[in-house]
Amino acid sequence: MSAVPRFSWASWSVRVGALGATAIALGGGLWLGTDLLRSGPDVEFSRDIKPILNENCTVCHGGVKQAADFSLLFPEEALKPSKSGKPPIVPGDPDESLLIRRVEHTDPSERMPLDHPALAPEQIELLRRWIEQGAKFQPHWAFVAPERPGVPEPEGKAWPEGKAWIETPIDRFVLARLEQKAIRPAPEQDRRKLLRRVSLDLTGLPPTESELAAFVADRSPRAYERQVSRLLASPRFGERWAAWWLDLARYADTKGYEKDMPREMWPYRDWVVRAFNANMSFDRFTIEQLAGDLLPDATDDHRIATGFHRLTMTNDEGGTDDEEFRTAAVIDRLNTTYEVWQAVTIGCAQCHNHPYDPIRQKDFYRSLAFFNNTADDDREDELPTLGIYESEADRAKGRPLEQRIRELTLQHEAMVEPERSTDAPRMLTGAAKREHDRLGKQVEALQKRLAPLRKAALPVMEEVHGAARRETHIFERGNWTSPGAVVTPGVPVSLPPLPKGAAANRLGFARWLVGPDNPLTARVIVNRLWDQLFDAGLVETVADLGSQGEAPTDTHLLDWLAVHFRDDLEWDVKRLLRVMVMSATYRQDNRPREDLADRDPRNRLLARGPRDRLSAEMVRDQALAVSELLSPKMFGPGVMPPQPAGVWRSPYNDLDWETSPGEDKYRRGLYTFWKRSAPYPSFVAFDGPSREFCVSERGTTNTPLQALVTLNDPVYLECATALAEQMQSWDVSAARRLARAFTRLTAREPKPDELALLVDYFEGAKTRFAAQPDQAQALAQGDAELAAYAATTSIMLNLDEVLTK
Amino acid sequence: MGRAERMTMRLDLSTEARLEEARLTTRRHFLRHCSLGLGAVYLAGLGDPAWSASGPGAVDLTNPLIPRPPQFAPRAKRVIYLHMAGAPSQLEMFDYKPKLMELDGQRCPDSLLAGRKFAFIRGVPTMLGPQYEMKQYGQSGAWVSEVLPDFAKVVDDVCFVKSMYTGEINHAPAQLFVHTGAPRLGRPSLGSWVVYGLGSENQNLPGFIVLVSGGHAPDAGKSVFGSGFLPSVYQGVQCRSHGDPILYVTNPDGVSRDERRQALDTLNALNRKQLAEVGDPETLARIAQYELAFRMQVSVPDVMDIEKEPAYIHEMYGTEPGQESLANNCLLARRLVERGVRFVQLFDWGWDSHGASEKEALNSGFKRQCRVMNKAVSALITDLKQRGLLQDTLVVWGGEFGRTPMQENRGGVINKFVGRDHHPEAFTIFLAGGGIKPGISYGETDDLGYTIVRDPVHVHDLQATILDRLGFDHTKLTYDYLGRPFRLTDVEGKVVRSILA
Repeated sequence: MSAVPRFSWASWSVRVGALGATAIALGGGLWLGTDLLRSGPDVEFSRDIKPILNENCTVCHGGVKQAADFSLLFPEEALKPSKSGKPPIVPGDPDESLLIRRVEHTDPSERMPLDHPALAPEQIELLRRWIEQGAKFQPHWAFVAPERPGVPEPEGKAWPEGKAWIETPIDRFVLARLEQKAIRPAPEQDRRKLLRRVSLDLTGLPPTESELAAFVADRSPRAYERQVSRLLASPRFGERWAAWWLDLARYADTKGYEKDMPREMWPYRDWVVRAFNANMSFDRFTIEQLAGDLLPDATDDHRIATGFHRLTMTNDEGGTDDEEFRTAAVIDRLNTTYEVWQAVTIGCAQCHNHPYDPIRQKDFYRSLAFFNNTADDDREDELPTLGIYESEADRAKGRPLEQRIRELTLQHEAMVEPERSTDAPRMLTGAAKREHDRLGKQVEALQKRLAPLRKAALPVMEEVHGAARRETHIFERGNWTSPGAVVTPGVPVSLPPLPKGAAANRLGFARWLVGPDNPLTARVIVNRLWDQLFDAGLVETVADLGSQGEAPTDTHLLDWLAVHFRDDLEWDVKRLLRVMVMSATYRQDNRPREDLADRDPRNRLLARGPRDRLSAEMVRDQALAVSELLSPKMFGPGVMPPQPAGVWRSPYNDLDWETSPGEDKYRRGLYTFWKRSAPYPSFVAFDGPSREFCVSERGTTNTPLQALVTLNDPVYLECATALAEQMQSWDVSAARRLARAFTRLTAREPKPDELALLVDYFEGAKTRFAAQPDQAQALAQGDAELAAYAATTSIMLNLDEVLTK
Repeated sequence: MGRAERMTMRLDLSTEARLEEARLTTRRHFLRHCSLGLGAVYLAGLGDPAWSASGPGAVDLTNPLIPRPPQFAPRAKRVIYLHMAGAPSQLEMFDYKPKLMELDGQRCPDSLLAGRKFAFIRGVPTMLGPQYEMKQYGQSGAWVSEVLPDFAKVVDDVCFVKSMYTGEINHAPAQLFVHTGAPRLGRPSLGSWVVYGLGSENQNLPGFIVLVSGGHAPDAGKSVFGSGFLPSVYQGVQCRSHGDPILYVTNPDGVSRDERRQALDTLNALNRKQLAEVGDPETLARIAQYELAFRMQVSVPDVMDIEKEPAYIHEMYGTEPGQESLANNCLLARRLVERGVRFVQLFDWGWDSHGASEKEALNSGFKRQCRVMNKAVSALITDLKQRGLLQDTLVVWGGEFGRTPMQENRGGVINKFVGRDHHPEAFTIFLAGGGIKPGISYGETDDLGYTIVRDPVHVHDLQATILDRLGFDHTKLTYDYLGRPFRLTDVEGKVVRSILA
């Protein structure tokens, strides 16, 4: 779009006429004069008009209601005659447009919006000019495919060193914007602090003492880049980024709802960790999770990936209708897919057309049809499942057993399937009953043979064929018990169609999501990754790029990143993250800038580095890492670190938390058993979600319960004591010991006054523990010095600086 | 002055002085304008603009629970919500149906079955007469069952709604519906909406406290007291009967309160240096939260310790200190509202009287549940009244749906014990105090207690009514999420004016 003001004689003349009326209404010529001076650029629908409509009009004239048969959502509906027989909008003629007359009406019973304050004169003026200029509708920006914008050339006028500051193209966009506002970026972050931040961002763990020392010692200009490469190659990388993805995938180790029984989802979690570590391209990552089972020659790995959509909840509550909860799961699959990849709130269209965005109710159900033909059916046994085996030999023996069990189970059930007319299950007698019992016993026997062979039974997606295929209906008012018209699978009309020849199934849909024409996916994903590193997305509402979401702070940067990621990097996540963390923008000092406190309090201009509290998992992992308790063990079933008794109390479910033995107590947070109805309490305190549904943003709160966790949870006490024991073995003074521990935690030396505070406390505590042997006994087997070190370390684990990156 | 008091005094003065110093260090204008992190969340969530000028718009960034005025003058300042999880039978407690007695044991007419789905009933069940005698009590002449003799004495203080209905037939979705306004997960609960709107009057205790009895969490798990998309500071905090009342509220063995104070003084001093160096308001918030945590370490165990209550109180409620029971939780609820806790949510598990086992039998397990509830809930109402708290405390009692007038025949075979199936079409709840008309009964069901014949009240209507009593227009207590304002009552809900005092 051209930024140069355009001047058109035709619109000039109309404008004078139209403005005359307004000027009279306002009773002054001054308004007319100033507005003519301002009348530069054209009115732009998305920027100037759509927000006015969304705010004031679409509640009654939108997707949900079309009062007087008038809706502003689609141009063809807005421009056709309404109930009155006249078109409310006459392009080119505001005075003939009923819309203008109604918003300008002086009688409150006629004036729109009804029963609400009148539009501001500036808003009405914008609407007039928009109609004058032809009432052109424009698709919402995010629905138009991104084009590669030119990379700006900052001039370096205000800041001659500026050009040398630039490290990656990201910086050119950021600097160009800062130059416009005459703001200089912040200086580079202290090297050690920077290494801590980038280590936490890329691997979820702080740097070790030796990593820190090596970086400080490396004076080469490529020192930082080498660290970034090291971090990207670390196996810890996959664990950190899996933690992010698993919120979106609503990963948990239990089924949810009332009984909330466990199920074996962990092979999927491990697949995600491996995929990130192997740097699987994001398009493949997408296709395998959504439709791996439909790929030609699908492998076990492909099918494991489809665990993504088997993470919907299953309801084992007695007396529930399986079809109700199967439908709920299928709807969740659709909503989750659109939230994760398209950041469009398609869920709004379950009951009616989308109130603000051009998505019709029919679009919702056509998309639903892609997901409506899998074999899962809210079953307690979670069929279909994929057996996971330790060895090829076990697999060869186990697979036929799995197959046989499944066939017999279905036969067994079919025998007592209720008659449709009475709804009462069939009562079996005689031979039929004997046959039914025999089948039951046979299944049990086969399961006994399978159990020792199989490590896990992972619920997976599996398409049904032939007569078993379901028709998809539009549900009247979104209610599954009121099926309406039948629909065929398809994508929303406002988005590009499926390519010619593409299969109208999950696989075709998945490919369409990452295809060259989809305007949203690349933007949505780069925005999510940016949000992970920069504390807020370029579009702050990472789950909503629709017209009700926030506008991007820098559309060009977002589009450049999206096109770069998709076309140049070919969906390479590690290389995209590298571009981001290598940028000078990322490397800036992250202290809030006093000089920008008024102009940019939330750092939307990126004139400083990002700053955020650590995530729930990072708080735990950091404490374990600095105390060297952290187990490097990867993968496998969820583990149970110590948790207070009585947290698990689901009805009809007697399972309890059993603290894991040995190193499993000290695994990374990622591997903690995630029970939906009662998640690990220390994570909940730090905003860890229940994972019952897709979570795009956790939010960051600051509560007293967090303080109680890091002060009193035995896990943190154990970390403090473990570090204290090491401190005792360091052959230096108490002050040096405390300083070294401080550096481990904060990646910097304490200042003299800070160290003095720690030493004072430590000395005082040592004296107090020596005077109170029972307390020293309880805390450190009677060793007053150890108790004092542990208490001081606990203080350090609770520093604001330690909980922040 | 005792040692503990001295310490509190010192703490308050020194905390105040330190925070003041920190404020000066970071320069006033900077803090005033900065809206990082937590603050940003609130700014994004403003509901009605007219209200936000005086409501959550004025949220102190360092303390999101500071008390805030509602939209209009309230009749209730706090709520005690007693949820009988599993759904108690209205036909054995309050909804008097002599006609059903006459039909006891007869085949259920087809007209009652046509077009209906049941959770467990299959084929044709038989009718089940009420299992207990009912009589009228008080000036109001309310019908009360013989299993609730003490409750019969407080009926003139309560308002029965006998025409409640819901759209959900299974426990978890129905409980979510009652508490979050939607049958699926992800919405904030009533208590979190209330604390979001009103803040908390006691800064040393959480504003929304949950107490659970009956041996199990509610069927829908923690989501029935979750904060959904509201900031997580507004979620219900569960106070437990065994172990730490709030998780991790107790210092580790070997760390005395004095030692913790010393440690926090050092921690705060270091954090203040960080604040001066970096100037991030979140640091200031963190210092305040650590101090609140320290105060909670005393105030939570103190309020949870019911042993100090006099003997007559224990006698009245039927409490046994140290046990997890509805009785103990009712007494705790009174202690909590006395201290200004805004919303106290009780869940008592064990009311799912299908008759599939002895525990679930209407003439056995159900009776035991009633015996405890009878005493505890009557005591709570009496106690609140005698302390002058009932007038501005709203008490709500109910389940998630009702029970069928038919005897359950799970899978087509009559159950071993006497029980009833889930019934979303009609159930009874009662309310008391907080601007509710006492001594009335609202709404009516047919002769069998099966369908509503007068003044139906939907779950959303109840929610709208509760918010109204607290001073909120339920259509205007909103939070922007995923591009639109959300509210507790979704797009429905009418305040039930006839039951308002």
